[in-house]
Amino acid sequence: MSITESHTASAFARGFADNPALMLRAVGVAKTFTLHGQGGVQIDALDGVSLDVERGECVVLVGPSGAGKSTLLRCLYGNYLASEGTILVRDDAHEMRHRAISGAPPHDVLHLRRSVVGYVSQFLRVIPRVPTLTLVAEPLVTRGVPEAEARERAAALLARLNVPQRLWSLAPATFSGGEQQRVNIARGLIAEHPVLLLDEPTASLDAENRDVVADLIVEARLRGAAIVGIFHDEDTRARVATRRLELTPPLRHTATLH
Amino acid sequence: MTAPTPLLSARALTKQFGGRNGCRNVSFDLYPGEVLCIVGESGSGKTTLLNTLALRTEADSGTLHYTSANRDHLDLRALSEPRRRLLMRTEWGFVQQNPREGLRTGVSAGANIGEPLMAVGARHYGQIRATATQWMERVELDATRIDELPAAFSGGMQQRLQIARNLVTGPRLVFMDEPTAGLDVSVQARLLDLLRSLTATLHLSVLIVTHDIGVARLLAHRLMVMQGGEVVEAGLTDQVLDDPQHPYTQTLVSSVLPV
Repeated sequence: MSITESHTASAFARGFADNPALMLRAVGVAKTFTLHGQGGVQIDALDGVSLDVERGECVVLVGPSGAGKSTLLRCLYGNYLASEGTILVRDDAHEMRHRAISGAPPHDVLHLRRSVVGYVSQFLRVIPRVPTLTLVAEPLVTRGVPEAEARERAAALLARLNVPQRLWSLAPATFSGGEQQRVNIARGLIAEHPVLLLDEPTASLDAENRDVVADLIVEARLRGAAIVGIFHDEDTRARVATRRLELTPPLRHTATLH
Repeated sequence: MTAPTPLLSARALTKQFGGRNGCRNVSFDLYPGEVLCIVGESGSGKTTLLNTLALRTEADSGTLHYTSANRDHLDLRALSEPRRRLLMRTEWGFVQQNPREGLRTGVSAGANIGEPLMAVGARHYGQIRATATQWMERVELDATRIDELPAAFSGGMQQRLQIARNLVTGPRLVFMDEPTAGLDVSVQARLLDLLRSLTATLHLSVLIVTHDIGVARLLAHRLMVMQGGEVVEAGLTDQVLDDPQHPYTQTLVSSVLPV
């Protein structure tokens, strides 16, 4: 690492000690996919995005399809490896008050996901045979909450999301799309992670349930969560956002389209 | 937070059979409570690697260290045979792909579970039988069949019996070689769910060899992808599967048929 690089890196990092509200910092995050099976073609999905998110903020990502909104969220979660840039997340358990997600060993990313960063997508990854209530309570149990309390909180959240009680003891594999999505939201929100990444959590919900989810997101924000989200409908955006970040499709990506 | 001590550490581990067909230059750390899957096609060296790590075959070169329950930092390759056997009996388990290789076919289901307990010093027959009964229930076997021979059980049941036999002594590290490969899909799901909950509740560290990406996604925290005897990519399970970097991993992931 050159002197200038390490100097800037420490300048990025200082923000976390100086500003106790700073939860997430992304600097110059870019993502390029290389498809080896297709002649090594390169696709630029995200072009140098920088973003600071503080406690109690909900930053809504906007921009046309292909602007890299989901890609950015996945980079922030460590699900995609950022090709360039730095992503730092507050971690008060760490002496530096933050950890890097970009370039971090898997062990650190798992630790951050357990205690700091939560991610809710529009798709539930079904685990065969695990009943809904257990599935929703699980993130609490892995964080050390006693099982009875975890199940009680899971039940309350499922009820609030209008998931019928007769379904709680069943595995969600056979549920409707909307029911699965609400189970997924319950599982994603129950642990009250200080940083939440939401990728279209309301995509296939009816208006009534969309309102419930929007309420839950606003409550998380008021509780002090730092949120970055993508929402397809303007109603939800207007209700939850404190700020918007416009993304534009990377130049090379646009060029290949024409 | 300081990083915990790895349970198992391999550096540049190599095992070749006449200069080919083995594993080469493998390095990784396995942490307590972590499930690590080794994926790759047949012939990629994943089973050789597993056997080398589990001391079932002798490595040609490289180092292999293990932190024992009483915090000793053991150099496994230099460890004497009796101490290796003690370690395998008290702290390790090994689940074979074919349950009949991991079970004793001549004795009852209950004896298959009770034997490892006796090997670590249990002597009270009633207690051993009670523990065997509990473990049969835990792996969802009908405990009233405790006196039947393994051959009387189906393949999926035998595999669950083998898992009970391996976990009854409370191991810290379990090796598994394609534990779901020989089973029907419906039976697989049940076994996977069982493995998933057992590894989480018992805080086990597990090394699993599989060619099945679905198994890896469901069970593993981390993946190592092997091709031609070498680890070509490693990382967090969802990151490796959703954003594979190496050409071989990209092929492997894109070859899975969508359901």
